[in-house]
Amino acid sequence: MIKKIYLIGNPNVGKSVVFSRLTGVNVISSNYPGTTVEIYKGYVDLGDEKIEVVDLPGTYSLEPTSHAEGVAVSLLKENSKSEIAVINILDATNLERNLLLTLQLIEEGFPVIACLNMCDEAGHRGVHIDTEALERLLEIPVVSTCAVTGVGIKSLIERIQSAAPVSRDRIASRERWAEVGRRVEQGQLLEHRHHTLREMIEDASVRPFTGLVMAAAVIYASFKIVRFVGEFIIGRITDPIFIDLYRPVLERLTRYWKEDGFWFHLLIGDLIDGKIDFKQSLGVLTTAPYIEFGMVLPYVISFYFILSVLEDIGYLPRLAILLDNLMHRLGLHGFAVIPVLLGFGCNVPGILATRALESKRERFIAATIISIGVPCVPLQAMIFGLLGKFGGFYVCGVYLVLFSLIIILGVILNRLLTGYSPEFLLEIPPYRFPPLATLLAKLYLRVKGFLVEAVPVVMLGVLFVNLLIYFKLFDFITGISAPVIHGLFGLPKESVVALVIGFIRKDVAVGMLMPLGLSAKQLFIGATLLAISFPCIATFVVIWKELGFKDLMKATTIMVAISIIVGTLLNFTIVP
Amino acid sequence: MKKISLAQVKADQKCRIAEIQGGSNLHNKLMHMGVFKGKDVTKLSHIGLRGPVVIRAGRSILALGHGIAVKVMVEVE
Repeated sequence: MIKKIYLIGNPNVGKSVVFSRLTGVNVISSNYPGTTVEIYKGYVDLGDEKIEVVDLPGTYSLEPTSHAEGVAVSLLKENSKSEIAVINILDATNLERNLLLTLQLIEEGFPVIACLNMCDEAGHRGVHIDTEALERLLEIPVVSTCAVTGVGIKSLIERIQSAAPVSRDRIASRERWAEVGRRVEQGQLLEHRHHTLREMIEDASVRPFTGLVMAAAVIYASFKIVRFVGEFIIGRITDPIFIDLYRPVLERLTRYWKEDGFWFHLLIGDLIDGKIDFKQSLGVLTTAPYIEFGMVLPYVISFYFILSVLEDIGYLPRLAILLDNLMHRLGLHGFAVIPVLLGFGCNVPGILATRALESKRERFIAATIISIGVPCVPLQAMIFGLLGKFGGFYVCGVYLVLFSLIIILGVILNRLLTGYSPEFLLEIPPYRFPPLATLLAKLYLRVKGFLVEAVPVVMLGVLFVNLLIYFKLFDFITGISAPVIHGLFGLPKESVVALVIGFIRKDVAVGMLMPLGLSAKQLFIGATLLAISFPCIATFVVIWKELGFKDLMKATTIMVAISIIVGTLLNFTIVP
Repeated sequence: MKKISLAQVKADQKCRIAEIQGGSNLHNKLMHMGVFKGKDVTKLSHIGLRGPVVIRAGRSILALGHGIAVKVMVEVE
């Protein structure tokens, strides 16, 4: 009797897409090896029963080489083999290599069903597979699918129960290759074909000169598009809604309230020139929703749209190749570019993505770099919103400081930490062009995730701050921290509130700086400090869970030290 | 026929894997990615002086860090 179904296969064969199709649970899938680093569970209806389906991180073999692969293999082995079914998902365009894992699974005695995914792409690339012949050879059920469109999923579900262990003797791995080779030759028919335009672009993007030119163009264009789309949403959609629709409603609502009352202070905040100012009033109904929906959400949408496009096309692994040299100096290798890029959206998925790195040392370096030098979208959106009016010079300045910090910190950590960094070894997927519906579904998933996690925290955060201000509880902290905040960083002593709130959420924290009337230089220092000082609580918890308490403390010490050094340096070197 | 490392092969040149000078771990890893003794591969590019080497092996494209590329000995015509 089957109690659990596991999905296993090489990285980037589409396990997560098959999983979403089987269970209806939407998970993030992308076109690069190592997208899935967490274990996802869902249910599929098998006859009258609901059976648990587990999506495992991709692995090349049952001898794991990274943390994520290790988790996949140990989970697979924790159940009795008679109670599970294993769906081995294979990339139909690359059967020869993929079958190695299949053979390993069969030899270990797992009840396996082979799912040849991406059969549509295989067809385009001139690969035709005789599934019936393959079925006879392997003695297991073989189904071809195209999970992106859903073709073949039904027959996959129908045949799950026919998976049974095949009895055979273990074969030494060298001989196994010969066996795979023989089998593929019998099962597969290859057409001869010419290079396509896509392959020419693929080639150009990994050559030193053309690759770097393309990378520069892609990064520049992405940045421009993120800003353009973000500003478009703000200018045409969210600002009109807030200013023309929401503000009159609020003003009518508050007409009969006493302006210095408790509730007015809490919900509306301070009036600026007798009017509600969404950026400065600091109320639960004014600034809190404006920060989230009017300043941050537009950039969350535009950033994740571009990131999803780059992920699904398959550009990120190519960027990893080009930056491998640089990353080596930081004690990492090229793949670490991917967690760093994800960190620009939100540090939490970025740090989770370091699970695909091999060693603990690398994971520590990557997580520390991300939490200190990589600003998340909410923080960046607020920096644009706040510093933008002083000109691009200051905005670029923040990025320049953060980028230098990443490099300096990486080089130092690489020198100080014992151990060495493993070498880069990555499979580069072909470029694929995802259907718009797939992109939008992924964008929806991420934006929803952002709203669910951020909005309540922001509302409560602003409420909490207002209570503290109303009851004058901040005075104590402001008093004791004044020597550092004012003396070293040159900021008004009230801005310590923002740094403390930064622990809850960075966007709210920058919001706290808005009413203080800071000069451009002070804002620049404040925003930079918010980026590098303590990560928000969500990131803090993730580092703790992923790396343990000791490494969390190490990372925190580094953060505090760097914040003080950078804050002081900036204050005394910049002439306003 | 001469035996050189993958790092020394010129771009766009075909070669055959002759030997992998590394531990069983590296052997295993490369084998499961489709790089093993006797396999014909094409080097596509080499990024910078000590950067990764990109090869086509079968129908997959792989990027090997420089440290790995120097351990993969190949035969070229």
